[in-house]
Parts: sequence; structure tokens; C-alpha cells
Amino acid sequence: MSRIGKIWNALANPKRIPRLYSLILGIILLAGFMIPLALNDNQLYPRPTPQLQISEQDPLAPYDRGGIPLIEPGIVKAQYPQFSEKIGFVTGYLSPIAWSVSNTTLYYGTSIYSSPGGLIDEILYYTRGFDTVLESSILMMAFVIASWVALNFTMRREE
Amino acid sequence: MDITILGQQLLGYIPLGDIVLYMAPLNLFMFVSALVFTTLIAISRTETQVEAEFGTLKDRGVKVDIKEFKIRRFLAIVCGLATAGAMITGDLFDFTLFVCLIGIVNIGIVSAVKQIDVLNAAFQYGLVAMIATLPLFGGAALILASTGTISLLEIANIPTTAMMAFGSILLLLGVAGETGVAPFYATKAEMFRTPGSPFLLIIHLSSLLVIVRLIEILLIINKPF
Repeated sequence: MSRIGKIWNALANPKRIPRLYSLILGIILLAGFMIPLALNDNQLYPRPTPQLQISEQDPLAPYDRGGIPLIEPGIVKAQYPQFSEKIGFVTGYLSPIAWSVSNTTLYYGTSIYSSPGGLIDEILYYTRGFDTVLESSILMMAFVIASWVALNFTMRREE
Repeated sequence: MDITILGQQLLGYIPLGDIVLYMAPLNLFMFVSALVFTTLIAISRTETQVEAEFGTLKDRGVKVDIKEFKIRRFLAIVCGLATAGAMITGDLFDFTLFVCLIGIVNIGIVSAVKQIDVLNAAFQYGLVAMIATLPLFGGAALILASTGTISLLEIANIPTTAMMAFGSILLLLGVAGETGVAPFYATKAEMFRTPGSPFLLIIHLSSLLVIVRLIEILLIINKPF
């Protein structure tokens, strides 16, 4: 019995907790190497064969999902298509600058131009848009706490 | 969608694209109780502690000043809303994001105090919460890889594999670190030794409700019965 009491006392020290936690996490992660990998082949977001779009000299390769903006939907799959009826309608949109760049080079799809106003990620902003809201609110709370501590404990410390 | 989850008939759902918030009786009850508690602390004032000293008659009152009170109330309300969201979300990744938000706001609620040992404990809790994001999101990613979906309504119909069980162990470890349950309770227990009672209680309540919800999610993933 006294041995259990000693363990409890050792656990009551906050300094030991991160070490104990990391130790347990390390053991579980090492044990995880024994688990057989069982990847699901029927993934939600299918991709074309690797290098297929590049061999076809497509400037948007490897991110070409097809579709004409607001007229014909591109290939974007959703878990519940009944909840995102307009999916794929803007995935083919290119801003004027992006369009002119894609006409001059074959490597547009892997360049920095393809991000904002280029190939719009509908998974991020439409089907899973709520995640984006949550992620940025986590970041905002971290900034609120850090700036409060910096303002009141670091810059205005009277006592 | 006419589905039962763990023997509960769904009362309704809120579709946000692929993220479906579902309302079963248990989830709805926990959601409402989190919201009621959040409202209660939003309209209440903090307590004042009295520190007594042995051998003397010098008792000191430990008060919370108005600036500290405001930031704590704000963070406590955010924590309550995040807890309420974690109760009805039907999406595994969304759940981990809510738990992550609860963890970071918990540090914030005690970061405004001026007692050094409480701040030290909060620092250690912050370290654990940061490490815990690895198993938390890693577990959700393993479950996504082995099932192809992170919607709990879909996972409920997929037979369990060894990789899903391992993913849920990682998820359990991640939530245990973020909420500070045994054997990692020491950091959180020390954080409570400060005035400002109703705001500190949301730390407790959020851990409790998240653990209950996690058990439901683990039952959905692993289907032991």
C-alpha cells in the first residue's frame, strides 16, 4: 500500500507531468509500429494516375479538376453531396493574372500563382469550411492570450 | 438520413457541408447544460479568497481586479462555447479542433493570475497540452487513413480494424493530455488554487463533458457491443 502512496505523491508534482506524458506517448508510438497498416483504398478524394496530366502537357497539372466556372462542375467529391449542391462550380476558376500565367508556362499548377485566386480548394472552403473557421479561432485565442500577457505582465508591470 | 447512433435515435442534424452536427438525446443534453453553465458564469462575479496565516491574525483578501476579470470572463465564455460545440459535432476532426481550442483557452484563463506556483503549473499544463496535439490529430489522421472518412455517422457503419483501434488509443491519450485527467491531473489541480471561482469551474466542466463525449466517440469507432 505504501508503494502506491509513493507513486501518487510522485505524480502530484506538476514538473514531472510533461516527462511522464512524453514517456507514455513514446511507448505507445513505438508499440504502434507493430500495428498492421490497413489503408482504405476507397478514399474520398480520388486522384488521377500520377504523371498523367503532366504527360498530357496540361499547365494546371497535377491539380486540374476540370469544369467551367458556374456552368459545369469539376471533379470534387463530397462525403454528403446532398448538403453541398453547388460543389465543383468554381473549382476551375482562374483569375485574369493566373489565366495569363497559365498560358505562358507548363508548370503553372506547381507554382506559387496557383494558390490565391488560382485553383480554389473547395474541400477547404466549402465542404469542410467550418474547420477553417475553427482553426483560425484557435489561432486568434492564442494571440489574444499572448498579447494580454505581453501587455499586462511585460509592458505595464507596476508591482 | 434516418440513423441510430449507440441506440439513440437522431432528433435532427445541422449540415455544414461535410461537417454534420447531430443531435441525439445525450448529446443535446450535454450541449444544453454546457450552454446554461456558460450563461451562468457570463452574468456572475468572481469570488474573493481569504488567505489566513498560522500564528497571526493577519488575514488577507485576494481579489481579482477588473481587467483580469474581463479577460477571464471572455476566455471562459469561449471555453464554454467550444465545449458546447464539441458535444454535438458529428465529425472527428472537428471534435479534435474543439478539444484543442478548449486546451488553449484553459491556459489563458489562469495565465492572468499573479500567483507564481499557479503560473508554474499552468506552464507545465501548457507543455502537456502542446505535446498532446500530436496524438490528438495523429489519432484522427490514422482513423481517416483506415476508414477513408472522419464523419462519425459513416464510421459507425465501418467494421473496426486494428489500425482504427490504435488510432482511438492515440485519440484517448491526446484528450487525456488536453483535459488533464489521471494520471496527468497534478498540473490542473494546482491551477485551481487561485481566486475567480466561476471562471475556473468551466475548466473542470469542459474536461468532464469532453471525456464523456470522447467515450461516446470511442464506442462509435470501436463498436465493442
